Amino acid sequence: MGRKLPQVFFALSTLALVLIVAAVWQASTPSWKDYQRRFFQLEAQDEPNAVTKAAVLATPPQIHQILLPGLQRVDRCTTCHLGVDDPTMKDAPEPFRYHAGLGPHIPSKFGCTICHGGQGLATDVKDAHGEVPFWQDPLLAKSYIRASCGRCHKEGDVPGVPELTEGRRLFESEGCHGCHKLNGVGGSIGPDLTEEGTSHRSPEWLERHFLAPNVVSTGSAMPNFHFTREQARALTYYMLSLTNEEMGSYYSSVLLIPSPEYGRQLFVEKDCIVCHSIGGVGAKTGPDLLAVTKRHSLEWLDEQLVNPQLVYPGSSMPEYDLETNARKALVAFISAATSDDAQEILGHRGKALTAEDVAIEAGRRDFARFGCAGCHGTELQGGVPNPNAQGGQVPSLLHVSDDYTKDEVIQIIRDGKVPPLDNASGPTPPLYMPSWKHLLSEEDIHQLVEFLWSKQQKSKESW
Amino acid sequence: MNLIREIWQSIVRRDPLSTDKGKSELVFLNVWLHIHPAKVKKENLRFKYTFYLGFITFFLFVILLTTGIALMCYYRPYPPQAYQDMKDLQFVVFMGPFLRAMHRWAAHAMVVCVFLHMCRVFYTGSYKKPRQFNWVVGVFLLLLTLGLSFTGYLLPWDQLAYWAITVGTNIGSYAPFIGSQVREILLGGHTVGEAALLRFYVLHVAILPSAIILLTIVHFWRIRKDGGLSRPVWKLAPNKVEQLVTIGAPAETAPLKVVAASKDKTYGLMEVVTGKPIFETITPEEEEDAVFSYPYAFFREAIALMVTVTGIMVVSLFLHAPLEQLANPAKTPNPAKAPWYFLGLQELVSHSALLGGVLAPTLMVIVLLAIPYFDRNPSRRPSDRKWAIWLFTIFVVANLVLIVIGTFFRGPGWAFVPPWIHVVAGAE
Repeated sequence: MGRKLPQVFFALSTLALVLIVAAVWQASTPSWKDYQRRFFQLEAQDEPNAVTKAAVLATPPQIHQILLPGLQRVDRCTTCHLGVDDPTMKDAPEPFRYHAGLGPHIPSKFGCTICHGGQGLATDVKDAHGEVPFWQDPLLAKSYIRASCGRCHKEGDVPGVPELTEGRRLFESEGCHGCHKLNGVGGSIGPDLTEEGTSHRSPEWLERHFLAPNVVSTGSAMPNFHFTREQARALTYYMLSLTNEEMGSYYSSVLLIPSPEYGRQLFVEKDCIVCHSIGGVGAKTGPDLLAVTKRHSLEWLDEQLVNPQLVYPGSSMPEYDLETNARKALVAFISAATSDDAQEILGHRGKALTAEDVAIEAGRRDFARFGCAGCHGTELQGGVPNPNAQGGQVPSLLHVSDDYTKDEVIQIIRDGKVPPLDNASGPTPPLYMPSWKHLLSEEDIHQLVEFLWSKQQKSKESW
Repeated sequence: MNLIREIWQSIVRRDPLSTDKGKSELVFLNVWLHIHPAKVKKENLRFKYTFYLGFITFFLFVILLTTGIALMCYYRPYPPQAYQDMKDLQFVVFMGPFLRAMHRWAAHAMVVCVFLHMCRVFYTGSYKKPRQFNWVVGVFLLLLTLGLSFTGYLLPWDQLAYWAITVGTNIGSYAPFIGSQVREILLGGHTVGEAALLRFYVLHVAILPSAIILLTIVHFWRIRKDGGLSRPVWKLAPNKVEQLVTIGAPAETAPLKVVAASKDKTYGLMEVVTGKPIFETITPEEEEDAVFSYPYAFFREAIALMVTVTGIMVVSLFLHAPLEQLANPAKTPNPAKAPWYFLGLQELVSHSALLGGVLAPTLMVIVLLAIPYFDRNPSRRPSDRKWAIWLFTIFVVANLVLIVIGTFFRGPGWAFVPPWIHVVAGAE
């Protein structure tokens, strides 16, 4: 009995040893070491000095990582992409090529994945490029990379990425908020888009979806907005830029590019022309702003925008809560502004507003801000198809006053409404009026109704 | 040379292993080996009787302890870091994926082996007098194993972990009166979060391993006291069965008998203490059935150990432990599934929360604990225990079927989806 036991035990022990060696071998031959060896050979290739050449070739392999606490990520891409910040590698083959044209976005401060996507922590090709299950953020295709600019530059224009600006504009003007929540604001019919940029949907899917929602996702409640290809691309860019990752102050301080165009936008938004004039055009309460940068230093102007009382005691200028780059943008605009600009801004501004006008204007803004236009149309004309709802489409709001009192409309906005069915036994219509009471204050709702009624009068006149 | 021999002697302090005395002394002069008897019955070593499942389970636990302690060096039980540490284990730590895979697969294997071991003990009737209480200890060891596996499941802090524990603890909360309180104490809150991760970590690396080690000591000690490893005693002549004696067993069942020992007899330590030969060397005929633990038992155990270790290593070389995306409380996978050994319960819960979450598990544990006291049939012969074997088989098969359904046949919304039909998840 058991004569062979020691032999079996010995054989199994040998097998265990072999397995341990195999595990050590598996662990000590990762693919990145191969890439580093190839890179050192590439570096040593043109090295005339034999000693330096030997030193380069003998560089010990090690994992390179860029720690980016401000972006909450660690990028190990440079473990293989070794030449990314070395201009002499501009003609090297991938993965060693120099990354030209980065401007201030140097890898040591920004890493790679914030723009390119992928899995920064990974150290082998497949995992790092994120083309593996359970990684939602694979490498972005070249044609979509510029969308990532919007991850930090959340407002204002980004030079070279008009798609982002256009996407944001479309999102507001088409009333996407009506169905989609974004950063806590918006309806609940469609999915929340706050983290759309980090979701699993591919850019191609998004783009096709914007062109034909119902084809890509059967039964979707989303109406076809008949976007052009460019518009679909712009919206896709905007979607890809949406994340709610926390950015460190270094990254958020450059959120806004201080361009004069953005400054002009702020100048209009903050209604500076109400007190100031440029080259004699405008109000005379505050000083004329023509060539103001010649009279005051940039620091002085910046401080004046933050805390006017400190710079000029007794100043009647209000304090504006503007970001650093917003102030820079404003100053950039003012430094070059002429009386023609002032004329144009004044021309768009129109006459002074009454209290009622103010309410209507606020209502108009809320109508746009909360995306009512998405279903009811930018001109309140309705008409978005809503199968099996009475009339088969979202109702026009131009004749609301014929059927409802103001109080009834307030009630509908506050509590929402499910449209009456066309065919009682048919399917539930995909679109319905959500309840807005958690997002809109009573005042907001009243202003919206004032805006609606102002539209009614106009439409009656036009009959 | 003399010095070397002297040093060696000072370490082993026994006669050479070529002598019977040396073989005996190897066992009872050694603190680690003296849980064994110096001699064992050949019957005890039969592979086809015990399948060495108890040993294998113990060896898996040893693997888990060693790999687990190594993993502790790389792990911080705090939400985002915990997941990042998993990624670092995967991509940066030398042999990290291998280490984690070994821990993962050994953990699953241990759950399986504990269960199989329990089945073996039941089918051989090894829980019967005098081993009733050791069965109870074994049931607690099973529960502790499940607890260890369950608490370890959360630690990677990925979607799989997060939602398995959310579902698992939700099943627990169906218990009336105490369910939600127990869940709250376990999680340190109402949902799985930072506090839950820390608590599960403490349970996983300190409390539960300590408990399982203490109970394992009791479990092994009892086996030794109750006559060693289980063996088919019904194959012995009836008069010998009557002579079997257990230390600590009630005296009236089988009084200690003083038997004339053969002149070549070696005495076990216990016999020296009591001054009487007991059970293991009861008659010269039985003496012939016995062999020295060294080398027969020890090499077999060592082979079981090596088979366990190499088996886990081979699997770990080729299959890495899964890691899904970072836990996200806002994104529920559909379906969210508990760890596989609780999927039978989840399947029951899907039909009735009270039945699956409360009655079934409670009854299961109570019945398991009560088996040795409820089963009054003294015979261990399979032909005498048809009813018991049938009932237990139904229990085992029902468990397996439910787990298989829960694992492979449940898709989004817990709808019945055969595994060969591919469901596109998350399509909108």
